[in-house]
Order: sequence, then structure tokens, then C-alpha cells
Amino acid sequence: MNKKLNSRLAPEDFVLVQLDEDLFDDSFVGQPVSYFGDALIRLSRNKSAIIAFGIIVFIIIMALFGPAMNQFGYNQQMVDRVNLPPRIPIFAKFGVFDGTRILYNRQVANLTDPSRYPEGSILETVRTFTSRDIAMADIKADMYKMHDVPDDINFWFGTDYLGRDLWTRTWRGARVSLMIAVIAVFVNIVIGTIYGAIAGYYGGKADMVMMRFTEIVGAFPQSILATMLILVLGTGIRAIIIALVVRGWIGTARLIRAQFLRFKGREYVLAARTLGVDDRKLIFRHILPNSIGPIITRAMIAVPGAIFSEAFLAFIGLGIQAPEPSMGVLLSDAQKVLTSYPYQTLFPAILISILMISFNLFGNGLRDAFDPTMRGVD
Amino acid sequence: MLKYVLKRLLAAAVTLFIILALAFAVVRLMPGSVYDDPNLDQAIIDMLIERAHLDKPIHIQFYYFLKGVVMDKDWGTSVKVEPGVPAFQVLANRIPVSLQINLISLLISVPIGIVAGIVAALQKNRGADTLISVGVIIFISVPSFVFASLMQYFLAYKLKLFPILYQPSAVGALRLKSMVLPIAALSLSPIATITRYLRGELIEVLGSEYMLLAKTKGLGRFKATVKHAFRNASLPMMNVIVPMFANIVGGSMVIERLFSIPGVGGTMIKSINANDHSLTVATLMFYAMISIGTALLVDLSYGLVDPRVRVGGKKDE
Repeated sequence: MNKKLNSRLAPEDFVLVQLDEDLFDDSFVGQPVSYFGDALIRLSRNKSAIIAFGIIVFIIIMALFGPAMNQFGYNQQMVDRVNLPPRIPIFAKFGVFDGTRILYNRQVANLTDPSRYPEGSILETVRTFTSRDIAMADIKADMYKMHDVPDDINFWFGTDYLGRDLWTRTWRGARVSLMIAVIAVFVNIVIGTIYGAIAGYYGGKADMVMMRFTEIVGAFPQSILATMLILVLGTGIRAIIIALVVRGWIGTARLIRAQFLRFKGREYVLAARTLGVDDRKLIFRHILPNSIGPIITRAMIAVPGAIFSEAFLAFIGLGIQAPEPSMGVLLSDAQKVLTSYPYQTLFPAILISILMISFNLFGNGLRDAFDPTMRGVD
Repeated sequence: MLKYVLKRLLAAAVTLFIILALAFAVVRLMPGSVYDDPNLDQAIIDMLIERAHLDKPIHIQFYYFLKGVVMDKDWGTSVKVEPGVPAFQVLANRIPVSLQINLISLLISVPIGIVAGIVAALQKNRGADTLISVGVIIFISVPSFVFASLMQYFLAYKLKLFPILYQPSAVGALRLKSMVLPIAALSLSPIATITRYLRGELIEVLGSEYMLLAKTKGLGRFKATVKHAFRNASLPMMNVIVPMFANIVGGSMVIERLFSIPGVGGTMIKSINANDHSLTVATLMFYAMISIGTALLVDLSYGLVDPRVRVGGKKDE
């Protein structure tokens, strides 16, 4: 077909557009876009990742400053204000979080006793009935009035079984959990990167020995290893971080090793070596930057995993020591009184859920941004 | 192939042995002892300590322990959680309860995950896919114990649809009913994991040439996906599902506690808090065996499916 078409065109059919001068752009019109700039552009188009990032920043700010936003300390016990339901002034108008609670099976005769039920504490009688010839009632009561709490003191998230303010404890718990997760992930990434870089760069025997070692460590189940370590080290923030690090660095090490195997034979590495660049500089200045994207993505996705592990350990009784709160400790304490005081579970549960969803969404966004070929895979 | 299998088996056995030794050492070196009870007579304490060989150096203790395990399947005797009962027996009573919950959860998650994954891939970027993807991100992110608490409060306590706690003594329908919530709490994350994996795999192959050929042959989109794409994706999926079982078993520690299920997880927590050393070692070994067993299964199936693995090292993750 091409031939036919060609045969129909004679040289005369072609007209030169111009022949007077050489054609050049007078300047570069496009802007050079760096690797990170490119990723940032892609990331900024990902709405869910941006929202998730905003939420993470908000939670971090609240974790830093939230505990100091009222006058109560995280370990300040108030015996006369135990298990108060939450009261949030704005919501109270709509009948939620208004500091009330339904009290079941109260004797009607006692309801008028002001020493038990102070003036104005009973809002309404939900149900009356008789049991063993005694008049009983279920009442809706203002718990703040009952415990003689002044009107201008509001426990936004309520108080726990020791009368500690849960607003303060929740945000402090978020701070502790985030701190544990971030430190553990950071240490994991640093160890894994250096280990993987050395194994991948030098290859050969060193690689074989080093990778065999990761296989051995990797064969230990994470939960067993963490349990045993905490049994030895005792419960505490440091012990939990160590328990999360011991096996956590392996994934990064494998990833970085694979990256090094891929890049170390490239021409630019050879060129740099010919110019006399030493090993350390080759590893960290020339080859490693190729892996920055995957490393950041991996770190972001590892954070919710670490938060989960901390909560998991708290649930099996190996959490950090009282009175320091963490998301896991709060949830595990609240679980014991779930049916009586569900609000104690509600706020930490919402917080940990939102935090983990946000980290996952942001991590996915980062991965798509750094590696567009992976887009839409999940 | 035989050499490969033997090598893997040996490696697994060595790992198990190291874990056993470590677990033994860790538990013995733990501060505190059941014999610290001030109500006990010193003579009795001395007798008990001597009987458990606790007065000897630790490597001798380990030797006696190993001898007991190998010769008479004697993992020591529980002293606090179920006083006087051999640790092996304590576990033998509880493993079926745990396994029942975990296996049912796995059996439920696999088909649901597969269906959801196929639907999401076929409906890519349309309504159903968006819905499933949102569900996936939520179920993967939110911890199982949060779901467990939510379901316990709303479904069990408020709506009274299910019992709040597991009912070990109930029989028939009530017992099944009491198992619904823990199983549901355990299954959400595995379902989401399978869905996400399968959707990714399918979307990758849906554009491939053999799918085009299948279409050209006259196969419908659904049939082509199930017959060709799914088949190709299902083999590597085994490597997601099998290790997941170890995760479910590990994760059920917390769920067992929340629902008061008399399983292995609860026993481990109790034995740790009560310094019941023999029992702690035995439960640790149970979990180690489950996860090393599943890892071994994955390794062997890899070797079976992909001969390259047998020659070289492990496939990179």
C-alpha cells in the first residue's frame, strides 16, 4: 500500500516551507521537572491522598497540643468524677454528648433524696415498674449534676474508671502510639537500607551470608518474637520499639538489595567508579537516591502496621506501663467496660481507625506518585 | 525436588528448635515465679523446685525439658492456669476451639474475597468497584478489635442479635450464633486482602493478549475472566492465602480475649500473667509451629510450581 501511495507522489508535489535560515528555539520553553517535582505533581492530583495527608497532619498537631488544651493531666485522678459521660457544649443542644446517662433499676422512694440525686440531676423518668413490691424506675440523669461538677467544666471525651480526663489521655495516647510507630519504622528503614545496600552492592559471598541471616531472622514469627522480647525486656516504650524493629527491617533490606542489584551495573555507576568515586559515595550518593521513592512509600505504609502491633501487644497484656496511655492501652481498658461506658471505646476507636485509613491512603498515593506504572493496581 | 524438600524441612526443624530453646530460656529468665507465693511453706517450695529441676543450671533444665518432650510428649505441667494438668493436655483441649474459629474464618474469607475481587476487576472504575475499593481500604486499615468492639456493642448489646460473648457450653444453634461475631471480626481483613490482591492481578492480565484471543474466540467477558484470567491469578494467590492463615491465628489472640473464647490465645495471655512457665513455652511453640508450617507450605508449593526457585534462592518479595 505504501508503495502505491509513493508512486503517486512526484517530487514536484513537495513544496519547501522555508529555506532561508536554520530553525532553532530561541530558548527552552518547557520547565525541567525533577523526580520529586514530578511525583509531587502526581500526588497533588490525588484527592484522597491529599485529604489523608491533611488528616494525618491534624492528628499529629492534636497529639502534640491536645493534652495541654485543658487543665487536666493525663494521670490526674478525680475520685468524685469517675466514668463521667462526654459532654461537648455544641453537641449538647442536639441531645448527644450532653453528659446524660440512663440509670436503670432505681428505687422511686430514693429519687427525691437530694443527697443521692441532687437538685436538677434527674431529667426524666424513662420507665416505671415494680419489682418485689418496690416501685422502681429507669431514669435519665445528668451525671455532671449528680457528681456536682460545675457547668463550665466539660469532659469532651468523658472520664475513665479512675476519673481521668479521656480527652487528655486520648491525645496523649495518640502521641505515644505515633511516637512508637515512627521511631520503630525509622530505625527499621535505616537498618534495612544500610544492610540491603551493603549486601546488594558487594554481592557475592557477603550477599549470600547476609541474605541467609535475614532468612533465619525472618523465619521467626513476628508475634512470638515480640512476645518473647517483651518478656525479657519488660513492658515499656523502648521494649515495644525493639520488638517492632527486630524483624521489621528485613523487608526494607530485601527491597533495597533488589534495587542495588538492578542499578549497580548501570553505565553511570561504571562512569563514576572510573572517575575514582569510592564505595561509600557510590552507594549513598549515586545508587541509593534511586530508591528514595520506594523507601518513603514503604515507611508510610509501615506506620499503620506498627500502630496496630502496639495496640495488639497492649491487648494481650504486654503494652506500655500504666499510667502512660497509648491507643492500645486505651482501647484495651475501655473494652472491659464496653457495654456500660461505650463512649470510652468510641473515641480511641474512631481515632485509631481514621489514623490507619489515612496512613494507608496517603501511602497508596505516594506509591502511585513515585511509580505511576503501579497506578490502579489496588 | 526431593533435595529441595529435605533442605526446607531441615531448615524449618532447625528454626523450630532455636525458637524452642529461646522460648525456654526467655521464660525461665523472666522475673517472678509462681513459687513466690508467701502462703506456701518453704519446704514445699523447695520440693516443687527440685521436682521441676529449677535448682539446676539452665542448660541442664533444658536438657530435662527436651528429654521430657521427646520421650513422653511431656511439655511440663501447668501450675497456675489449670493446676496439675499437663501443658500438652491444656493445649489439646483448647487448640480445637481456636482452630475451629480460625478455619471457618479462612473458609469464609476466600470465596467472598474471590467474588469481590472478580466483580471489582470487571467493573473497574465503575460504581461497584469504587464501593469495593472503599470497603477494602477500610477493612484493611481498621484493626479487627475495633470491629469486634463495634459489633459487640451494636449487634450484640443494642440489637441483641447475637450473644455478646462466646458460649462454650451451649450446643447447636446458640453456639453457632455465638461464633458469628468473632468469625466476622476475624474475616474482614483477610477478605479485603484477597480482594485487593485478586483485583490487582486480574486488572493486570485483563489487557493481555491471551485475553484478547479469548474474546476473539467468542467468550464473554465474564467467562473469559473466570476461565483464563482467574486461573492464572489463582496459583500465586495461594501464596497470599496460606500465610494469611498464620496471621488469622495470631490475630485471633486478641479476638479470643474479647469474646472470652477458651482458645490458645487466652491461655497464652493467662499463662504469661500467671508465670505459668511450662504453659507459656507450649503455647509459644504452638504459634511458632503454625507460622513456620505455613511458611514451609508456601516454600514447597513455590518450588513445585516454579522450578527456578529450587535452583536459586528465594524469590524476591
